[in-house]
Amino acid sequence: MAANEPLSSRAEDLAPPPKEPGFVHQLGAFAIEAFGQARDLYSVFVRTLYYSVYGRREKGMFAQQVFEQGNQSVFFLTVFMGFFGMILVFQAGVQALRVVPDLTLLGATFLQLLVRDLAASIGALMLATRVGAGIAAEIGSMVVTEQVDALRMCAADPIEYLVVPRFKAGIVATTAVIIWSAGVAFVSGMLTAWVYFGVNPRTFANLGMVGHGDLIVGLTKCLAYGAAIPIVSAQSGLSTFGGSEGVGSATTRAVVNSSLAVIILNFFISAAGLILFPGATQ
Amino acid sequence: MAGGSVLETTDDKRGVAYTTGSGFLRISELVGGFALLFGRIAARLLTFRFDREQTFMNLYKMGVKSIPIVAVTALFTGAIMVIQAAPLVQRYQAYGLLGWGAGFGTLREIGPLLTALMISGRVGANNAAELGTMSVTEQIDAMRTLAIDPVAYLVAPRFVAIVITLFCSTLVADFLALFGAAYSAGPLLGVDPQVFYNGLTAGLLNFGDVAHGLVKSVAFGAMIALSSCFFGLNVQGGAPGVGRAVNATVVVSAASIFVIDYFVSALGT
Repeated sequence: MAANEPLSSRAEDLAPPPKEPGFVHQLGAFAIEAFGQARDLYSVFVRTLYYSVYGRREKGMFAQQVFEQGNQSVFFLTVFMGFFGMILVFQAGVQALRVVPDLTLLGATFLQLLVRDLAASIGALMLATRVGAGIAAEIGSMVVTEQVDALRMCAADPIEYLVVPRFKAGIVATTAVIIWSAGVAFVSGMLTAWVYFGVNPRTFANLGMVGHGDLIVGLTKCLAYGAAIPIVSAQSGLSTFGGSEGVGSATTRAVVNSSLAVIILNFFISAAGLILFPGATQ
Repeated sequence: MAGGSVLETTDDKRGVAYTTGSGFLRISELVGGFALLFGRIAARLLTFRFDREQTFMNLYKMGVKSIPIVAVTALFTGAIMVIQAAPLVQRYQAYGLLGWGAGFGTLREIGPLLTALMISGRVGANNAAELGTMSVTEQIDAMRTLAIDPVAYLVAPRFVAIVITLFCSTLVADFLALFGAAYSAGPLLGVDPQVFYNGLTAGLLNFGDVAHGLVKSVAFGAMIALSSCFFGLNVQGGAPGVGRAVNATVVVSAASIFVIDYFVSALGT
């Protein structure tokens, strides 16, 4: 034992103590992880696009997914966009009254803002929580219970079989639901303006400021978010590991990443819209 | 939880009256459950019977670890606010008012709202998954047999941590959003950051606007904490139940954030 003691103590000396990772270490680990995620996301996106064009079509899957993403979100979005329209007009009215006593342009400004940005972005943020969490939980639990591996064994690519219908359905359902919820927000905003500020609904429903540029930017946003939410959530679901806890964290990641995707896409599309359609703002 | 749980899905084949009735019952069950849970948490908080260590651990896990995501969201949000204010500003050539316009929207509405949505996605969902897994694997029952009060040890610290996290995140987000707005106004609209800051501090915005947003953030934090803890503790049906609880948490938190936002906005002015 006495002979072994210096050896063991030397071994302890040689083995470095477990250090707290430094700042550079953390930054590097973060960068590597972010890069891996981005590459994974890109791969899922490209394969989804490929199979959307060349893949086999599963009968009924598309309609079922549109129902799940679209119809089942209608109630949810109707309630929130209704409240959101009320909040927005209320705040805008309070804000405007501090500077000008005249609220005739409230409706026109509200409509333009709704069409160009807020209907699509806020609606998509809500859809990202509902639809994104649903997709990630579903695909994640399929991964954990090895159903996705079973699909691969049957020579069915999970991207083709699971992601493509959700992707196509996402584009259609998001656009449709957002157009509906923009209508809801407009009506609730109109009622709020009437009740709180006494703005006549006819004055409020003024489409004068909505140009074609606003419409194009708004619809582009719908399409982009509708494509991004299923892809990001499906990637989170497919990269699930570690049992039921893994499904929970995959769902979290799906919601966070798709919300981030919506915000970042919003920035780029809005900036592009500002540069491409400066005439629409006059 | 007799008479069906909130996490069960209703059978769509039934009639309209059945669907409406069960929907109503589910909502009232939720409201009642939230109120009971809030009462239990409040009883622990008022008598200071909650675990300090757990509170600090959760604050680190929920607050410090959320800073990157809050920062990215806030910077982009500020830039988006400037882009959305751009047409109005250009029409009236009112470059001096840009800071006020972006600041008003950010401080009162968009800052607290987007921060709450991001924190609800990251922290609320994670919290529900964690508590749900503990509940499914009977760890919470094990605590009870050891005479440890699960509300004082698990739930109340999380409640405190989420409320503080959201309050501080909103402060950080407000600051970073205005920062992002000021420095994106230059390249996008040709407005000098100094002009932006002047518009921000010219007197049209006061402390009330910041406080309005912060009051909201506290209410949002309480709702996120309540819903995530409620769904986490009431998981039924093993591992798939945890997934459903996480989903329900995210949806209900987002829902209640919007509803509360309206009432705080309407009452606060």
